[in-house]
Amino acid sequence: MIRPRVLPRPRKVQKVPFVELYAGRLQGVVSSGSDEERVYVSYFEAGTGNFYCSTNNNRPCGGLRGSPCKHLVELLNEGVLQYGPARVIAYLGLQQAEPDKVRAGGELLRFIKGGPHKVEAGMVFSRFLTYLQYVSVAPTGVPLPDMAWFVR
Amino acid sequence: MPLTDLKSVPEPVVHTAELVARLDEVFESGFGRLSSANLQTLASLAASFAGTPLAEPLDAAIAGLGRSEFVDRHFAAIAAARAAAHGAMHDALVAQACAALSRPRPELEALADTPGQAAPPRAAVLLESVRQWLMELAIAGFANLEVGALLPFQATLDAIMAEPALVRHAALLSGFLDELLTVFPAHGKPEVPRLRWVDLWTRSMVLSLAPPAPAATREVKGELRVFATDLRQHDHVVSLVAFGALHEPGKPPRVVRTCVSAFKVDVLQGEDFAGLLGEVGGKLLEAIAGGQGVKISGMLLQATGDLLWQEARAEVLPAKLKLAEEAAAVLASPTALRPSARPEDRHPALIEELVWLPGDGYSAAGKEVRELSLKGESFAVASERWPSSDDLLPADVAGSKGLVALLRFDGGRWSLQPVMIDKGKPLPRLVGTSLQAARAKARGGNLGTLKERAGKLLRKKS
Repeated sequence: MIRPRVLPRPRKVQKVPFVELYAGRLQGVVSSGSDEERVYVSYFEAGTGNFYCSTNNNRPCGGLRGSPCKHLVELLNEGVLQYGPARVIAYLGLQQAEPDKVRAGGELLRFIKGGPHKVEAGMVFSRFLTYLQYVSVAPTGVPLPDMAWFVR
Repeated sequence: MPLTDLKSVPEPVVHTAELVARLDEVFESGFGRLSSANLQTLASLAASFAGTPLAEPLDAAIAGLGRSEFVDRHFAAIAAARAAAHGAMHDALVAQACAALSRPRPELEALADTPGQAAPPRAAVLLESVRQWLMELAIAGFANLEVGALLPFQATLDAIMAEPALVRHAALLSGFLDELLTVFPAHGKPEVPRLRWVDLWTRSMVLSLAPPAPAATREVKGELRVFATDLRQHDHVVSLVAFGALHEPGKPPRVVRTCVSAFKVDVLQGEDFAGLLGEVGGKLLEAIAGGQGVKISGMLLQATGDLLWQEARAEVLPAKLKLAEEAAAVLASPTALRPSARPEDRHPALIEELVWLPGDGYSAAGKEVRELSLKGESFAVASERWPSSDDLLPADVAGSKGLVALLRFDGGRWSLQPVMIDKGKPLPRLVGTSLQAARAKARGGNLGTLKERAGKLLRKKS
């Protein structure tokens, strides 16, 4: 039985509306601190440790100067909160890190050896749109007997 | 009536479970590389269906798969055989349970076919894509899956979610894909929950063989008194199932089941459910929170005893009910017309016989209540099904005046899942009683934030 983790604190959805482990990346969307309309698309790649942060229009984040910006730190914090240190460490392949000692995601930064490496923000952003689609599907009053397999 | 008669499991059930377990080994290693042991397993599966309508397609499937003919009708035959084996186990177990409880076996209500809307043509194409994906999983084998083989299915799933006729498929497949993506990619050999995944595979395949036909229904009028609830969820769906007594004018009260569900994302948990479920079942949540009845006018009831919840046909009644008495009365000797499963859905995991245990009939063993003592004999509690909710806690069992439980069969044994506990107060303990109060709070929360983003961004996209 796969149960949801009881999170140590609630996720900051306003700040980081979306985070996931997907296609070999810890990736997500981070709201801009200054502009309500703007979001940043950020990711860390498993294995290489490469990372990037840009607006959803592919403009690079100003805070990205050879090392991860504050958006990437927030992404890592929320990712570790959502999935737990063990899963994030295993997924990103950070062999040196010890899951039991990690209090916050930011502590994993020193194990990330890669550098800025651009990917199209559109790939991550379309995953965010897929994610949002789930909250846009109409709820239903029809029986769903197969949900008997999904209990908590 | 002793429940304690359910200590043992009928022998044919044990044998069938062993046959299914051997078949599941083939799904783990993959139909693309059948070993001689695998071929023997498939042959013994075919032998056990000799003389049944499945014999011919199953023989053809096994011969074909042995020649590496990977076509979906072969996998459909394997899925049908596996589902039929579980259906037979379900029926034998229900017979055993009903004998122990001295009650008739549940029956489907005889209903005339109701004309309904057939699924749109697009549904057939989407289901063909589902079968194709399932076939790829079975050929590769669960032990050999790679994330690259799983990701493209997300696009099919997006289209299925946009198709209201396939809501059941969307709920099942999103949970299944999620779980596969959680485990893969993993370093080294991940542990495959074999029985569970082949169950989900089989249900997905059987459900995708043909577009869903409209179910027969009849309109009901009367009063619904919900006395027990169960919560089911995965990252993308939450379902609140409610059991209650339906009082129709001029008929004896009977047990029915109703279910409201919503799609969601992983961060939506706990109180967020209030906002999600309130949209489809606000009056149901109100009635559960207040221990009140609901006046039903013209809601549709299916042959399985499932009431299709419609807000517009419900009206919460002011009087506070004595729900424990209500449950005790209707569950004392329930009629054959009570919640059950359609033949094609039957599986031991779907067995949920409602029982009422009076306060002097049980006591809690230990703080975590892993077992109940029934007049001195211990009986397992389905602890793994205890929902993560403060509305109903294991600690509520101690000192209670009676409880409603679902009799379940899981992991090869019978167990009881408490779904309502009478503490002697007007409102009994059951899951969902806190949701009504959380509805007002939920508006500004995570759900609100995500809906607002979705409103802006999804509109922009189209």
